[in-house]
Amino acid sequence: MTTALEIQDIHKWFGSHHVLDGFSLRVEQGEVVGLLGPNGCGKSTVLKIVCKLLSLDAGQVLLMGKPLNELSYRARGLVGLCSQDAALYPDLLPAENLHFFARLYGLLDQDRQHRVAELMEIFELEKFANTPVGQLSGGWQQRLHLAVSLVHRPKLLVLDEPTAAVDIEARMDLWRLIEGLRDSGTTILLTSHHLAEAERLCSRVALMRSGKVLAEGSVPELLSRIPGRAVAKVQSEDKEAVIQRALDLGWQFRQQADQIRLLLPRAVSLREIVDALDGTQVSAVSVHPVTLEDAYLELVGGSS
Amino acid sequence: MQSSQLFLLQTRAVAQRLLLEQWRQKRGLIFWAVFPSTMMLLFGLVYAHNASMRAGLDAAAAGILVGAALFFSCLGGTVAVIAAERERGTLPRLLTTPLHPAAYFLGVVIAQLLLAVMQVVMLYSIALLIGAQYRGSIFLGGVILLLSVFSYVGMGFFLGARFARRSEEVVVALSAIGVPLLVLGGTFFPLEIMPQGMQNLAQINPMLHMNQAFKGVAAYGMGVHELRFELTFLVVFCGLSLALGVQSYRHLLGGNKSQ
Repeated sequence: MTTALEIQDIHKWFGSHHVLDGFSLRVEQGEVVGLLGPNGCGKSTVLKIVCKLLSLDAGQVLLMGKPLNELSYRARGLVGLCSQDAALYPDLLPAENLHFFARLYGLLDQDRQHRVAELMEIFELEKFANTPVGQLSGGWQQRLHLAVSLVHRPKLLVLDEPTAAVDIEARMDLWRLIEGLRDSGTTILLTSHHLAEAERLCSRVALMRSGKVLAEGSVPELLSRIPGRAVAKVQSEDKEAVIQRALDLGWQFRQQADQIRLLLPRAVSLREIVDALDGTQVSAVSVHPVTLEDAYLELVGGSS
Repeated sequence: MQSSQLFLLQTRAVAQRLLLEQWRQKRGLIFWAVFPSTMMLLFGLVYAHNASMRAGLDAAAAGILVGAALFFSCLGGTVAVIAAERERGTLPRLLTTPLHPAAYFLGVVIAQLLLAVMQVVMLYSIALLIGAQYRGSIFLGGVILLLSVFSYVGMGFFLGARFARRSEEVVVALSAIGVPLLVLGGTFFPLEIMPQGMQNLAQINPMLHMNQAFKGVAAYGMGVHELRFELTFLVVFCGLSLALGVQSYRHLLGGNKSQ
């Protein structure tokens, strides 16, 4: 497998704020890698550096095996960026936006016509062919934005919280489209606040905090690092009693502000949990197999 | 694809996009047409009404075109383009493409030049109807207009990149920096009635040389030889404008990089 992107120990300061503190990541061709982490952890900064919108202060980024700082401005065509805000020309029609950006990347007449028609079809934009982009809904604008970022067939697609500004229905549509890109072998680096998004779309996930990667791997690999196969979320008036019962049963627990998360060594039914916690003044309880959210909380933080 | 071919393709794309946007913004297009027409009509009627001022009608038409119409459409238009790119968030997207800064600059110049040609036709149609005359070489007049548009776009890039971060700031930036340039450019008063200090300062104002060069050709039928100083100044300033435009685009990139 060829490496599309290799980020080696990069550092970035904004004044005295050390935003990236030895961040490293490798993205192989055909992979979809998700960057997850709390606000301000440096996710978007990484993407901006990869897209040459920001310079780095130390370290190195290799794009298709070549140092980013040695690539000419024409090499910007190797990357396609789709951010959360649709950066489009509102007075132009969808195809006109696509044509404009295609020309900037140097697509010539026949190839450009073909590519624009292809993207209009894939992204189902034909029905809005005569609608100025400014009159499209946020979800359709974001669809077009994604299409624009692909118009020059980039080697690496960078998605910066692509579904953050759209409604649930549009998010599902975008997920379906991104899945299609993944299945066709597009290399993608994405950031997201939606853990379900990363779980559904990514072949590998890097969990970030304070400008560095704390854990990385495929979703099953990350889940295997949790000391449990299922999680029970419990709310109780008597937290001490719940914790004592968990200790008696040999279950690990994590205490959060308003609930206790019990890490169960095997899949346990709700009935079994309720029976096990009998007499501990439980007011609410749910149980589910471990998810990326649990891995995130366990490996990045959020519980004690 | 060769670099020169890509450069031309990008320049054309930028010009085409700007013209298309201008065409779609019907209201803006109407204001853009009404402004120089009304100005020429009002000034022309005043000049035509007063016998003692009639001789100045030819120069007034040239001054209104270069000093007012092109100032607001080309310089103001360029500042607005940069501010709009910022506001719509398209600037970071452009910066991620291989768009060459000079191609972007020249694309804006071409779009503004085509709009300027239409303004010239409109304004001079009214001027000729009122009784003004165009006395010199049309070719030389065209060259001076080209140099003027180029210079205005360069200044527009500078103002847009440095001062106008939002659309609302476009008018403020134009007023704060543009109006002094207009006054010192001899648009409202002849240079001769200004204090010596202002006259000296005016010599470094490109608008003065645009005004004098175009008035020289249009109103007094002067040729290249008589206007060699103004033309040399404008050619040099065009080179500076291109450098200023490219540098301003890079400043936008730098501004983005320091976020």
